[in-house]
Amino acid sequence: MAYKLLEGIRIIDLTMVFAGPVATKILAELGAEVIKIESWQRPDVFTRANVYPENNPGTDPWNRGCLFHSLNAGKRAISLNMAAEEGRDIFKQLLKVSNAVIENYSPRVMTNWGLDYGRIKKINPRIIMVSVSGLGHDGPLKDYYMYVPGMEGMSGLTHNTGNPDEPPLLSGFAYGDWVTGANAAMALMTALFHQKITGKGQYVDVSGREATICHLGDIVLDCILNKRDRKRMGNRHPGYAPHGCYRCKGDDEWVAIAIETDSQWKRFVREIHEPEALRDQAFASRQGRLARQTELDCLIEQWTTRRNKFEVMEALQRLRIPAGPALNMKEINLNPHLMKRGFFQCVNHGEGIGNRPIPSQIPAKLRGFRKFALRRAPHFGEDNEYVFCSLLGMSKQDLEHLEQEKVISRAPEFPPGRPTRVDLLEKQQAGCIDPDYLTELRKHFGVGIGKA
Amino acid sequence: MSERVFNGVKILDLTQGIAGPYCTKLFGSFGAEVIKVERPVKGDITRGMGPFPNDEYDLEKSGTFFYLNANKKSITLNVKSKEGIEILKRILKTTDILVESYAPGGLQKLGLSKKILRKINSRIIVTSISAFGKTGPYRRYRADNLTVSALGGTVYPMRPGIQPKTRPTALGGYQAEFSTGLLSYIATVAALIGRANSSRSVSIDVSMMECVASTLMGHIAEYSYLGFSRRTNPFAIHGYPIGYSVPCKDGYISLTPGIGGAPNIPFLINEPDLQNSDFITDPRMRMADPEGFDALIIPWLMRRNKRDVTAEAQELRLAFTPVLSAGELFEDQQLKARKFFNTTRHPRLGKIANPGPPAKLRGTPWLPGRAPLLGEHNREFYRGLGYTQREIKKLHSAGII
Repeated sequence: MAYKLLEGIRIIDLTMVFAGPVATKILAELGAEVIKIESWQRPDVFTRANVYPENNPGTDPWNRGCLFHSLNAGKRAISLNMAAEEGRDIFKQLLKVSNAVIENYSPRVMTNWGLDYGRIKKINPRIIMVSVSGLGHDGPLKDYYMYVPGMEGMSGLTHNTGNPDEPPLLSGFAYGDWVTGANAAMALMTALFHQKITGKGQYVDVSGREATICHLGDIVLDCILNKRDRKRMGNRHPGYAPHGCYRCKGDDEWVAIAIETDSQWKRFVREIHEPEALRDQAFASRQGRLARQTELDCLIEQWTTRRNKFEVMEALQRLRIPAGPALNMKEINLNPHLMKRGFFQCVNHGEGIGNRPIPSQIPAKLRGFRKFALRRAPHFGEDNEYVFCSLLGMSKQDLEHLEQEKVISRAPEFPPGRPTRVDLLEKQQAGCIDPDYLTELRKHFGVGIGKA
Repeated sequence: MSERVFNGVKILDLTQGIAGPYCTKLFGSFGAEVIKVERPVKGDITRGMGPFPNDEYDLEKSGTFFYLNANKKSITLNVKSKEGIEILKRILKTTDILVESYAPGGLQKLGLSKKILRKINSRIIVTSISAFGKTGPYRRYRADNLTVSALGGTVYPMRPGIQPKTRPTALGGYQAEFSTGLLSYIATVAALIGRANSSRSVSIDVSMMECVASTLMGHIAEYSYLGFSRRTNPFAIHGYPIGYSVPCKDGYISLTPGIGGAPNIPFLINEPDLQNSDFITDPRMRMADPEGFDALIIPWLMRRNKRDVTAEAQELRLAFTPVLSAGELFEDQQLKARKFFNTTRHPRLGKIANPGPPAKLRGTPWLPGRAPLLGEHNREFYRGLGYTQREIKKLHSAGII
């Protein structure tokens, strides 16, 4: 659900792919007006070009990608060629009527365009500028080429993820980009509060790698206090056991169980009658369990393997023991708790796509503020007229001229739309495909799913 | 010329653990006055959690507590006693934001229902952080970082690209907790900004499971558009093998070979003849055969260490970066140049390095600060509240503070 907290706050968004768009999606869900700028030569290809509805790229593939829809719902989009001087002049006009600008180019780009903070500030002294990058905007490595594997890999997160005797594991869902974007939103929100109180703007420098380190405080502190350089430990916990992800009945089904206290353990063995070996007195104490984890995990798995993962959760939750199945994307989309909480908002994406549930990027339920329905993600250049004419006072003729000069455009230069290689996904077992997904979704989100 | 963002903003912190304290740490480090209420004698549960210097248990020396509670004032108070709750109500009168992490219904049990809170202070913002939120079928369920990550969907896709059906392993550390603390902070600051637009009292209900699910971003929609549930970061979805870690002589490199200069790979591995091969020019060839791609570069990587590989690859605009351990961060020239680690002084831990800020706000500094000792601010705080020295002693001997 989206809420009107930041009404009247306007953010210019020069970001692309995941990290930056996460930041501005958070702001958009909280009621700010976000204006996303793309150019016809440089649209947000990565998210626009991936995973089309029913695997059909259609005739305008740039308006159909699911990642783009999810990350950009609630924003406005214009096309503006920043490489042209005329484009930059218009950008400067926009700066005058905005609270903040956020960008995630490599550090030299804005400076080369004459749009570094020093010069932006002269145009609008109240403006906030947020630069999002991998390693930050100063220092000897600032120009490193890096994407999410760099944010995760260079922070210590990857080294601490995976099984101890296996290679370090990167996240399967670009988590480092999320951390970067959410921390950029944190910084921007903080600067907006300061701007509201004092009227002052400022420059904000977000390094995704540094933000990720901040989410590893306990591991970093062990290094500081004990010179102990921790390594990945699978699903185990340094302080208690059992703590793991156990195989359940079915194909690729898993449940996570965490037993924190001796009394939880007592209740656990009382509930499960076999294998008998779990009743070993040596397991009664936390220290005893920590000492024999491999054995313990095997025994517990003998119990879980014969059970459905949801049954395990319910049985253990009745005993007040933390347990939860590892839900896949299907089970997330159809989860009764998330649905009841309003985690998803059904948004109509228009012709050929229809309604699809969009997950919240700031899933806080706020009471005391007006709610509003999030607009679908904008088509390429959809808000040109609103921004250039209504906000900046240009005429229709001006727009036509800009289009002729290729400063603005209605369609981007775009690679041919290609369906996802479902055959490869299946061959490489990279995931599971549910052919009945539309029917499943309609049961919960209504018949409008997939129909415009 | 720089100033603290939350000068004069008062926060009453009734959280413990990781998520709640991380939220209020962000407030404290940007200059809010955070009053952390701890249980007498034992304090916050993270005081009992390591790492401790030399692994010697000491409530005043937990590294986790130190990291999560910088720039707060600690007072002890038995909130389950009648006097305790009266004191809490007095504090609430001048509080801007209450942050709490009781199980749903916990505040009511203390006698602080929404109605009573509103009566005490009509302008207060109440941020509640819990595993599943205050409503919904799971609201009474128990969770820890691992089990809530599983339910939030971030455990299932945690498998290596070439072994997508192996046992999933959660992200290292406490990512569910930190993500939740961060989003709670963002929502609370937004409420501070938006409060002027609302005449009603404001409450915020944050669920850790939802925060975890939101870190999946658009990947959730791969199901509603294609019926797809990823088990890993698929090589086949983005048109090239996406980042994964490959071995080299002294560790691992994480790389994204498809973006930002894949045509330069032949030059990196000194096989320029390969530059016209389909494997290099067509990402869709690589995606169909990730093992073939590995076979091409791993022999070359295995003869070199990660620093040299990174330096050479970066010269060629290839997004190769080293996989670093936490220990290696302290020698990282970039972090040094950016002064990422601050030094603080703690009465029991001595001079100690402190990571941080998560973002650099140039006009409003981040206070490195330190965590308080248990009840360190009792005297100052209760005197400020109007209690005499004698009354404070009495509360102390009654076990209330």
